[in-house]
Amino acid sequence: MTSFVEFLGTWIISNTSSFGDFIIVGMKSIRSIFRRPFDTKYFLSQCSFVGVSSVPVVLMTSLAVSMVFAVQLAFGFKQFQAEGLASQVEGLAVIRELAPVITGLMLAGRVGSAMAAEIGTMRITEQIDALECLATDPVHYLFVPRFLASILMVPMLTILSIYISFWGGHFILVNLSFQSSDFYTSEFFKLISSSDLRIALIKAFVFGVIISLVGCWKGYRTQGGAVGVGAAPTSSVVTSSLWILISDFVLTKLLLV
Amino acid sequence: MPMITLHNVSKAFGDNRVLDGVSLNVEESESRVILGGSGTGKTVLLKVVLGLLRPDNGSIFVDGAEVDLDEPLALFEIRKKIGMCFQMAALFDSMTVTENISFGLSRHTSYSPSQIQSRVDECLSLVGLRGTGDLYPSELSGGMKRRVGFARAIALKPKILLFDEPTTGLDPVMTDVISKVITDLRSELRATTITITHDLKVAFIIGQNISLLHRGSIVASGNPVEFAAIQDPLVQQFIKGTSEGPFLVDSPPKRQRTLL
Repeated sequence: MTSFVEFLGTWIISNTSSFGDFIIVGMKSIRSIFRRPFDTKYFLSQCSFVGVSSVPVVLMTSLAVSMVFAVQLAFGFKQFQAEGLASQVEGLAVIRELAPVITGLMLAGRVGSAMAAEIGTMRITEQIDALECLATDPVHYLFVPRFLASILMVPMLTILSIYISFWGGHFILVNLSFQSSDFYTSEFFKLISSSDLRIALIKAFVFGVIISLVGCWKGYRTQGGAVGVGAAPTSSVVTSSLWILISDFVLTKLLLV
Repeated sequence: MPMITLHNVSKAFGDNRVLDGVSLNVEESESRVILGGSGTGKTVLLKVVLGLLRPDNGSIFVDGAEVDLDEPLALFEIRKKIGMCFQMAALFDSMTVTENISFGLSRHTSYSPSQIQSRVDECLSLVGLRGTGDLYPSELSGGMKRRVGFARAIALKPKILLFDEPTTGLDPVMTDVISKVITDLRSELRATTITITHDLKVAFIIGQNISLLHRGSIVASGNPVEFAAIQDPLVQQFIKGTSEGPFLVDSPPKRQRTLL
């Protein structure tokens, strides 16, 4: 019993301490956005890594998920002769939920893990100490370009995901469920208002914040050599994914009211 | 006034007391070598000077300014005066040699790209690596990496150079090359240097003053002639490199068993 209480107490203290450290480092990186020098070249390379290089992954996953969802909707609504509703629900689900969440989760896996591994390796090989010795704040140099690239690129990739998902649903519902293309297009946007797109972009922005800060922070606090470098990306993906899903619920609840 | 002053500095990691009341003065343009066995806190000593580690007790002054980790802007100003050469070079592996050396110049000076390139070439010449600017760290040998690390450290013309085990793991010829490079850099820049090493040959070549760090304390200091003449059993054991004596925490086994 004593050992359980000891374990629980240690776990609570350790996690509270880690969360506090994450908040402090996160706030420091947000404050650092406005400090000079701003490394434009490094920022653009991060935009390319986070945005351009993620296009194939977002394209494939958005296409696959939207097509599976369309098949399920067509089958479900066919049970009570309401096939026309499939396009409407497809549009609603894609814009409000699927596009931002799928994009966020895929980027947590592809980009957040890479950030954790890269910065973790820099920590273990003393490259972060070298940055400090060159009078360079590692949080400013490493976090800020990744943070800005993520909050810019995740919403843009979400818009791409919505566009691809539209055509994924189009392929299934027009070609396999025999809806007309015009009908699908008009029904897809029927239940959607501009606020839905705004909600999707707000979610994508928040997911960008989570992916970049968690990835960078996990890398920055890496310790323990190769084992630590191996654990940092895994931990980053799990933590980011969890926070993406939790924040998705909170944002949906707050923004839809 | 000394260029670097450590006053009663202590640092522990858990129960392991790595530095135990270290006090040290290094004068301007002096070349100080700190000798010590593995795990005696030599690298920790450099890290507290740089403000990379917070000491548990004591104070550190560099060029008259106190190293205070709670004053990050003042700390960065102090670090601009120091060039740090890491044991394993710590080069930025995603950057070329030129990008590594120009890193500090492009961030902390208003030099034009041509001035930066000129300074990079100058630094590479000083360490004998002209023409390697387009290579990546993975394409360099261990000795070349160390010298690129030196070039990066001197790019901002620091007043102080810190060398952490500059010759560890290098062959005798490369060790001699590195020793000469350090001596040349010091005379060229007129910089104050602290070199951490356990290589006696290097210590006696580059050191104007030598100190021995043992179990977290400076136990002996002097110029090379004085240091070699110190009759303290610790110093003599370290100089002679014998296993018998007070230097080791755990004495070696008396005799080795023959493995069957």
